[in-house]
Amino acid sequence: MRANDAICGLVLLVLAAVMAALTIPFPEFPGQNYGPDLLPRILSVALAICGALLIKRGWQARGQGDPWFTRPAWLGVPIKVMRLLLVIAALLFYIFAGDPLGFLPVSFIIIAVLAIAFGGRPFWALVAALVATLAINYFFGSIMRVPLPRGILDLFV
Amino acid sequence: MDILIQAFLLVVRPDVIVTILLASLFGLFVGAIPGLTATMATALLVPVTFFMDPIPALGAIVTASAMAIFSGDIPAALLRMPGTPASAAYTDESYKLGKKGMLDLTLGTNVVFSAMGGMFGVAILVFAAPWLAEVALKFSSFEYFWLACLGLTCAVFISTTDPVKGFASLFLGLAFATVGIDPVVGHPRFTFGSIELLQGISFIPAMIALFAVSEVLRQALVIGDPVEQVSAHIGNIFKGIGAMIRRYKFNFLRSSTIGVAIGALPGAGGDIAAWITYAVSKKFSKEPEKFGTGHIEGIVDATSANNAALAGAWIPALVFGIPGDSITAIVIGVLYMKGMNPGPTVFLHNPQLIYGVFIIFIIANLMLVPLGLIAIKSAKQILRLPRQLLIPIILMFCIVGAFAITNSILAVVILLVLGILGWVLEENGFPVAPIILGMVLGEMLEMNFMTSMIKADGSFLAFFERPIAGVLGAMTLLVWAGMIWTGLRPKRAAA
Repeated sequence: MRANDAICGLVLLVLAAVMAALTIPFPEFPGQNYGPDLLPRILSVALAICGALLIKRGWQARGQGDPWFTRPAWLGVPIKVMRLLLVIAALLFYIFAGDPLGFLPVSFIIIAVLAIAFGGRPFWALVAALVATLAINYFFGSIMRVPLPRGILDLFV
Repeated sequence: MDILIQAFLLVVRPDVIVTILLASLFGLFVGAIPGLTATMATALLVPVTFFMDPIPALGAIVTASAMAIFSGDIPAALLRMPGTPASAAYTDESYKLGKKGMLDLTLGTNVVFSAMGGMFGVAILVFAAPWLAEVALKFSSFEYFWLACLGLTCAVFISTTDPVKGFASLFLGLAFATVGIDPVVGHPRFTFGSIELLQGISFIPAMIALFAVSEVLRQALVIGDPVEQVSAHIGNIFKGIGAMIRRYKFNFLRSSTIGVAIGALPGAGGDIAAWITYAVSKKFSKEPEKFGTGHIEGIVDATSANNAALAGAWIPALVFGIPGDSITAIVIGVLYMKGMNPGPTVFLHNPQLIYGVFIIFIIANLMLVPLGLIAIKSAKQILRLPRQLLIPIILMFCIVGAFAITNSILAVVILLVLGILGWVLEENGFPVAPIILGMVLGEMLEMNFMTSMIKADGSFLAFFERPIAGVLGAMTLLVWAGMIWTGLRPKRAAA
């Protein structure tokens, strides 16, 4: 999804403004002229300059016929859009379901669903999901002692 | 001498040897798969090395990255797809050579000259780094401030064709680095009440997001597109290599030197070294008309240079804590986590660790030839691996890797947000490497800037009073002035 430079620039400008505004309540420290707000403010000015330059450039490109948004080819292919959204959904699924369900089922579901959605054969997708989940669980959970969420495992063990 | 023996003992331990062997295979594998880069290999390795001692951790990164940069050449020659961006400069040339029936010679050249270029880079690193460290011991906050500015400026300047977007990325990275407790008085900034954000945005999840998750998103859009299969037969790749070395020894020396220099410049790594040396090779060749038709000369140059650059990038990383490329940007993050703050004092307090890294660099380049041969021989199998299964597993690995660093779900949130951000930014022509540089250098830059400001008490002249600081400051200002000048000059219509 390519946007015209002016739109990127506008986003940067807004970001710079928000950042500068957030530094206003930072406290003053008596006897010290430079506080925690100095660098963020310099950065917001710098970002604003970049934003302004991009707006100028995007505006000129617009004059030469550059559209506000260039529609990428994949947007016309529903399966590609679905695959992209599924990757994002997988991360959201882990964030929300990771703790209650536990690592093992969540990892298995994510890998299996994505592999099938990407066009893998269902049998091999399930095998890959099972093997990879157990391997990751063994390596990170057992060897490196990362406290992977146990979730529903607690109900059984 | 004592230190060398100590360093040697640190390296020749079974766990270290096994680690670097596994890391090499991992690097070869990731590098050989188009779309998965050496930086991504490093990013995925970091969570695994997180719990290790410094030497095996750094050793794993050194070997994996060296192997990945080489093995990117394999699909370039076989499928006309660079395995990593560092091979992109000579992908067409390698593929055409393969079509001419010179596949064996091409792959042999890739593996042998990669190893030699790597060795050359290590030699320079071993001699230059300790010497520079001695100079750097005299540096104060003023020098470090200018050095960081100059380094970041170079990074943007060299690594992108669009400086405005490069700078925007860099400022974004620096802004991300300001999240959390500020380093001078300890006031929380931009945490929105989150306790976990007080420590700042964790660097490792951010890096995995920007380099690996964004790639997974990109792959999700191209997966299932028809892919060419490898059909070529691979024979004896070392036949005729001796003649190559004799014929192109001067090319090798020239390009390795350029490679180290480009690697050592902040922000520019193996990919840019390869493009530049390929162009230089063509310019000075006796037969430039053969370039682009399947001619080995440019490949000799560029394949040596990208591996030499890898070692060169460690020079500023170890000496000043300023990364030479995106891989060493990750390394610096790892060094901080291991309590070995990069900078000249590491050479004083922990010289055995530095020499240990040097020794591993040498071992990695020695191993590159036999392991490279194995990778070439098994290339058909590696390239036939079903991407549909691999990409979901990589995503899961990203999630667990990010989680492992902080043991908090916030890491996965960072993964999601910055992963999408990285993907959108790259789609719109913003490079992501400067974001990571900004995040790594942000705190150091702010520390030195604030210390200098307080020391100088508002007098900006103090930033130029010390001789080295003065020179560095003047150079930085000159580069900035030059950029503003070129930016303001009216451009030609088609530019």
